[in-house]
Amino acid sequence: MGVTISSLISSLSSLASWGKEQDVRILMLGLDSAGKTTILYRLQIGEVVSTIPTIGFNMETVQYKTIKFQVWDLGGQSSIRPYWRCYFANTRAIVYVIDSSDHARLKTSRAELLTLLAEEELKGVPVLIFSNKQDVEGALTPGKMSEALGLDGEKGREWSIRGSCAIKGEGLEEGLDWLVNVIQKK
Amino acid sequence: MAYHLIKGLIEHLTRKEEFFVIIVGLDNAGKTTLLEKIKTLYNKAPGLEPDKIGPTIGQNIGKIVLPSSILQFWDLGGQRDIRNIWEKYYDECHAVVYVVDASDLERMSEGWEVFDTVLNSPRILGVPLLLLANKQDLPGSLSIENIRQNYEEWWQLRNSEEAHRLRTRRIERRMASLDVMGVSAIEGTGIREAVDWLFLRVQNARRSVRSHFVSPFRVDVGLISISQV
Repeated sequence: MGVTISSLISSLSSLASWGKEQDVRILMLGLDSAGKTTILYRLQIGEVVSTIPTIGFNMETVQYKTIKFQVWDLGGQSSIRPYWRCYFANTRAIVYVIDSSDHARLKTSRAELLTLLAEEELKGVPVLIFSNKQDVEGALTPGKMSEALGLDGEKGREWSIRGSCAIKGEGLEEGLDWLVNVIQKK
Repeated sequence: MAYHLIKGLIEHLTRKEEFFVIIVGLDNAGKTTLLEKIKTLYNKAPGLEPDKIGPTIGQNIGKIVLPSSILQFWDLGGQRDIRNIWEKYYDECHAVVYVVDASDLERMSEGWEVFDTVLNSPRILGVPLLLLANKQDLPGSLSIENIRQNYEEWWQLRNSEEAHRLRTRRIERRMASLDVMGVSAIEGTGIREAVDWLFLRVQNARRSVRSHFVSPFRVDVGLISISQV
């Protein structure tokens, strides 16, 4: 009986917080052509759409399970990366997308990620990394990606590397599940 | 009687959702040429040829039917005296297209001044805005990278703390997609990509904003569940 009542109370309180409808602000970052916009619209409408390189940004709300994400997909070209910092305020999580088949630019992608992680404004903010384009031959597995990124020093935040294939929709939900879990704990 | 009911039902079920897009920008940016090209590319009846198009003092309307929805474009006059009609459309539109003549360097800063006003208009902060750098067919016209840079430089020139503060606030307030693409309305290059961009982003434009501001609907659902518990 006691269990029933406490579970009732917790489900009531989750209903109450759901009612407040606080959108969770997420930044989706990564180099150009990593697949950020494809991921955004795959999540939002469940389809693969044709995209063009984003110079500005896309913003869509994505309802996933109990959470309403406000996802900001910012352009990834080198000339516009400096503007990412304009969007750091109030960010609850970062989704960092890497083209895991693009070996030539892995170093650059890692460097940009480390710069982000060093930002004071993003201190403690959880990071979900999509090792995207897993369907391409020669793509780094999430394990190999972890090795290449070397994030073992990141003790002050939660982070997770997930393999994904945005055009097939694989791995995205699993990644979001992780994110939902991390955010709800806070 | 039954026939009408069924007919009505079928019409209801197959009804396509309609979205409104306004096309604004300085005079001579190529807004009407753009609209006519969109009509030519998507409709059976071709739009006007560019050499038949004069300055717009008023509005032109064009409608295109896509597989799952209808896009209606309002092309609004761009001359200084008529620009104040733009805002009459702000509450109804689902997206804004701002056209800039990328070959007209002399009027660039005038264009940015007007663009910035549109960009910051409170009533359209929740709808997607697409900046089209038109006349990419002309030699000497700015590429999209250069257009963006030109805008940034124009901003730097107004360099002041006030400007910086405004900019930060603006970034915090805009709640919808913003992007820039290059097109040639005369040749038709980039037009389909622009329409695809709009089509994808209008779907949720007003809807999410409305539910955000207006609706206690979600809460109601929550309350019903609670009372049922």
